[in-house]
Amino acid sequence: MSQPHEPRRPRPARWNRRQLLARGGALGAAGFSLPALLAACGDDDDGGASGTGSTTGSTAGGTAAPGTTAAGGTAAGSGEGGELFFENWPEYIDVTEDGLVGTVDRFAEATGIAMRYTDAFSDNVEYFALIQPVLGRGDTIEPDIIAPTSWLAGRLINLGWVDKLPLDQVPNAANLRTDLQNPAWDPTGEYSLPWQTGITGIAYNLDATGRELTSVADLFDPEFKGRIGMLTEMRDTVGLLLNWLGVDQSTLTTFDEAAEAFDRLAQAKADGQIRAFTGNDYLDDLSTGNFAACIGWSGDVVQLSLENPAVRFIIPDEGGNSWADTMVMPKGAANRDQAAKWMDFVYDPVQAAQITAWVQYVSPVAGLQEEVAKLDPELAESPLLFPDEETLARLSTFANLSEDVEAEFDAAFSEITGA
Amino acid sequence: MSEPDPTPWAEDTLTRRAQRGSEWFGLATLLGAGALILAIGMRLVTGALAAVAVVVLVGFVVALIVAAVAGGLEARRRLAPYGLLKPGTLFLVLFYLAPLFSLLRSSLSTLPSRFAVEAEFDWNFGNYGDAFSDFGAQFGRGFLYAGIATVLCVLIGYPLAYVIAFRSGRWRNLLLGLVVVPFFTSYLIRTIAWSSLLADAGPIAGSVRWLHLTGLLEAAQVMDNGRLINTPAAVIGGLTYNFLPFMILPIYVSLEKVSPALVDAAQDLYSSGFRAFRKVVLPLSIPGVFAGTLLTFIPAAGDFVNAEYLGNPNTTMIGNSIQDQFLVQNNVPLASAMSFVLMVIITVAVLIYTTFLGTEELT
Repeated sequence: MSQPHEPRRPRPARWNRRQLLARGGALGAAGFSLPALLAACGDDDDGGASGTGSTTGSTAGGTAAPGTTAAGGTAAGSGEGGELFFENWPEYIDVTEDGLVGTVDRFAEATGIAMRYTDAFSDNVEYFALIQPVLGRGDTIEPDIIAPTSWLAGRLINLGWVDKLPLDQVPNAANLRTDLQNPAWDPTGEYSLPWQTGITGIAYNLDATGRELTSVADLFDPEFKGRIGMLTEMRDTVGLLLNWLGVDQSTLTTFDEAAEAFDRLAQAKADGQIRAFTGNDYLDDLSTGNFAACIGWSGDVVQLSLENPAVRFIIPDEGGNSWADTMVMPKGAANRDQAAKWMDFVYDPVQAAQITAWVQYVSPVAGLQEEVAKLDPELAESPLLFPDEETLARLSTFANLSEDVEAEFDAAFSEITGA
Repeated sequence: MSEPDPTPWAEDTLTRRAQRGSEWFGLATLLGAGALILAIGMRLVTGALAAVAVVVLVGFVVALIVAAVAGGLEARRRLAPYGLLKPGTLFLVLFYLAPLFSLLRSSLSTLPSRFAVEAEFDWNFGNYGDAFSDFGAQFGRGFLYAGIATVLCVLIGYPLAYVIAFRSGRWRNLLLGLVVVPFFTSYLIRTIAWSSLLADAGPIAGSVRWLHLTGLLEAAQVMDNGRLINTPAAVIGGLTYNFLPFMILPIYVSLEKVSPALVDAAQDLYSSGFRAFRKVVLPLSIPGVFAGTLLTFIPAAGDFVNAEYLGNPNTTMIGNSIQDQFLVQNNVPLASAMSFVLMVIITVAVLIYTTFLGTEELT
């Protein structure tokens, strides 16, 4: 049953949480109510590619419970197996469309669990700001599983705001890639299970640049003044600059070691080189050519390049970043058994291959190449999905900073991003 | 002066004492109720205590009514103002004073640790120092952009309001309607629509390139490096566009009240058309301009939507910083201090402005 690997449907404009709040705030000022707006957005999501696919009993969008902004939908499933709520990043799972049944639906079909899948997770810092007041008071947020990037997962683990995963009920967790076992952010491996991993590199629009790019230095080329995008994700942006400056980002212990990267960034911002610091919404600017080049995430850009062949992704000569987004269960999450079933399901190589073929990231599940080859032989050869030794050697990961040092990095970065 | 009759004098004192008693009573219930609702609003009393406070609060209101009903005509006359003041006062205390004090209190608090949820109140004036030292540029930009946008709104809005008021004839209602029509679309949608219109590959930038106006617009500081969007001009333009109706409508209302007979009279006295405008119409429309500038400048100074969608990292306004500190950095004390400073600066600016332009004609 080999499915042809087809380009995705045109991507609808995406809203991150900041934009949602901004819209809400302004509308509130204009006399409209936030819940009404969120409801509208929820409906919007249901109609668009919210990643849920066939939404049989879509939940009312206005339930702006802690930890959620836009509501997605509830997948098919009798509900006999209980309920499960997974809040993930946008465009991060195979969706149900013509001829394809999305993972959420296949899971609901197989287990009878009524699954609610939303994609409101669009920026680690903003998401943390959203859940902090709730989890910090000892209350529970609605989602059973959330998808923080590794560093945020580490912070949540240190704060004691996540529960141990029911790994004894997840036999497929044995399929986890060996290099991701007992990672720095979760030394015992009891609290987190990676969802996807990927590469941070440079994305560019060939129509706008007029030439191929190879290096981080190209982002500072005056030729592209005012047409460069950087990510609000501090570790991605600063990490890539550190690679360029020849500083090993994986062994950072003090702010001073990274100070030059911050200076360069501040200078580039002051010079008007940088057009915007963005979250997941950089793709629109890249596609329309507002950004000639920007820092981007491999899978996103590869997906986009299927629609717009001028869009390219490279790992710069100086090296790229590797990162991991994880599944963790917020403290007090209600549906532990169902969460275990879900994790077991997506760690089954057959299912994981479907997700990988769609999201085009590096799967944390080992031995996936054969399964992906069954779906799309060409894809199985892609170095961005299955990086070879040589590619892996060019990637590094941002160090696990101590809390005080992290505060210094965050303060310096938020000063530059300007808000 | 003859010897006064003792009896009326004594009665008079008695009445006065009773009157004064009523006034004290009315004032006491008003202040007591105000203090209680402030305490509830600021969450100084919570739980069972708050329930008790509400009961006492209702008691104050009921006591005033009972006193008025039980007392004579004179007592009712004396108590009536306090009774009438009460709903408005309590509303203002609950929805204005209580939040204001809460904001002040949290602006003087400290977060005990980086990820703490509750700030602790400890007279931390350092937040105000940080607000100025870290966000001075954003304050400056906020007021600069809002100021320029307000001036542009007057320059664009006044002639338009003038034409609608004096020259539009039977089209008046239609034209007024057209001024308001954009409000039927959300503020945000309109702003985001501008970001598409002004995009590098968008229609406006394309037309500019086609007409070879790029050099001209760059010289006028409207374009930056061939871009229309993500520039200061785009942010100011967005503010001007979004707040223009708030300028047009008050000016129109004040112009509409100007009788054309006054202009005719001026011209009968050999005044030129422009002189008649300058000496008659303009002074009479100043209250409208005054109201319009306030309605434009105050919200524009705190706006963050235009800078978010039309600006770049070097054009952030103070509203963006406050939003970021409140909702992203979760630094409520600093954000409160910034909000408070913004409020104080705007209040002072408005007071100064008022003394120069006057409000007595604003009724």
